[in-house]
Amino acid sequence: MEVLTGWWDDFFWGSVVVLKVFLASLVLMVLFGLVGAAAKLSNNRIAQKIAGAYTVIFRGTPEILVILLLYFGSAITLTAIAQIFDPEVKFLDVPPFWAGTIAIALIVGSYATETFRGAFLGVKPGSIEAARALGMSNLQTFIYVRIPEMWRLALPAFGNHMLSLIKDTALISIIGLNETLFVAKQAIGSTGKPFTMYIVVGLIYLGFSTVITLTVMALERYGQRTLRTGT
Amino acid sequence: MSFDLSLIAEALPKMLVGIGLTFQLLILSAILGLILAIGLMLMRISGKWYLSWPAQVYIYVFRGTPILVQIFIVYYGFPQLDFIRDSFLWPIFRDPFGCAIVALTLNTGAYVSEILRGGVLGVDRGVLEAGEALGLSKPQRFIYLTTPIATRLALPAYGNDIISLLKSTALASTITLMDMTGIARTIVAQTYAPYEIFISLAIIYMILTFFIQKLLARIERYLGRYAEREG
Repeated sequence: MEVLTGWWDDFFWGSVVVLKVFLASLVLMVLFGLVGAAAKLSNNRIAQKIAGAYTVIFRGTPEILVILLLYFGSAITLTAIAQIFDPEVKFLDVPPFWAGTIAIALIVGSYATETFRGAFLGVKPGSIEAARALGMSNLQTFIYVRIPEMWRLALPAFGNHMLSLIKDTALISIIGLNETLFVAKQAIGSTGKPFTMYIVVGLIYLGFSTVITLTVMALERYGQRTLRTGT
Repeated sequence: MSFDLSLIAEALPKMLVGIGLTFQLLILSAILGLILAIGLMLMRISGKWYLSWPAQVYIYVFRGTPILVQIFIVYYGFPQLDFIRDSFLWPIFRDPFGCAIVALTLNTGAYVSEILRGGVLGVDRGVLEAGEALGLSKPQRFIYLTTPIATRLALPAYGNDIISLLKSTALASTITLMDMTGIARTIVAQTYAPYEIFISLAIIYMILTFFIQKLLARIERYLGRYAEREG
């Protein structure tokens, strides 16, 4: 444990970065997932095709490749654009934080499109007919009937998507994001204790995963509170 | 900045040299991981706490931490421990290929054991009762009834895990292995053409994913040949 002296605060700030990436990518992932699901459920052939291709591409490509492509690709594009205005510019990049966040949100979002699509299809037709009979508008039906019913169905798979996001954060260290794995590398450089440092990183991620799992379990119980009395 | 096709033509054969290593990683860790998963699953459903608890903890730890951290612990971390350096296993842990196989096996084993457990729990009770009525012993029921039905039930989810495993093999490039991703990263470092190289590599992975899916669909149809006739 003494070898960790002086590194606690670095690991703490590394964890804060993990949390920030997680939250930012969570918002984007839900957005990508919902837009993709809407496209898949729409009557528009082209939208369906695009959303289908989105899922196929990101399901079949290694995460690390997506991250590297987004980071280095955006860097050369940005550099090329910047050089038009100022030939002195040597290198300009999208911060690893955002390149990585967008990359993992795109990856997990491609899975989320299927989760959301399935959940929307799982909403009972009877509920929607009941809403119609009550004179609800389409928007009202969406907000008061579809959403409350679908999130309950989507939750177990959505929990897994959140776990994927938090674990994929570690991959962003490859393009230089200063999260815990990156901190560990620096700590190893000065202490020469790789096993200890990487175990600490593992424990930090295990902690995050545990919190997410417990939260999802609590949400599932909350979601089913009205079902229990009903039957 | 332009999309240079001649560069792709030059890089493709170089990257495809690494496909052998990618396949070795995939197939070896899939087989070893399946063996580990069967062991873990049997421990979990044994009904004995001293067997099911360790299996549960194992699964929890390996599913709750990023695969990249697991790879780093095995490759960079283990050499810090004297008892590993002194053990007969040292030749495995000294070699990045051995480390990648160990880490991928341990990781996929945890996921697959849960998939198998889902399959076993999904077997219809009536079938087992019928077996009991026919005088089959417990091991006989497990081998002749549970195993074939559970295999069929678990196969779709297992297929998804094989695809995840294929994508995880790309992480072997972070511990100096020259699989397809490792070679691509070297080429990008030399040519600085991330779009051309990484996109063409992504397409190779997508084609591999496609064939794995086709193969699994065929196995699924084969295993489901009796079920289809009934329905």
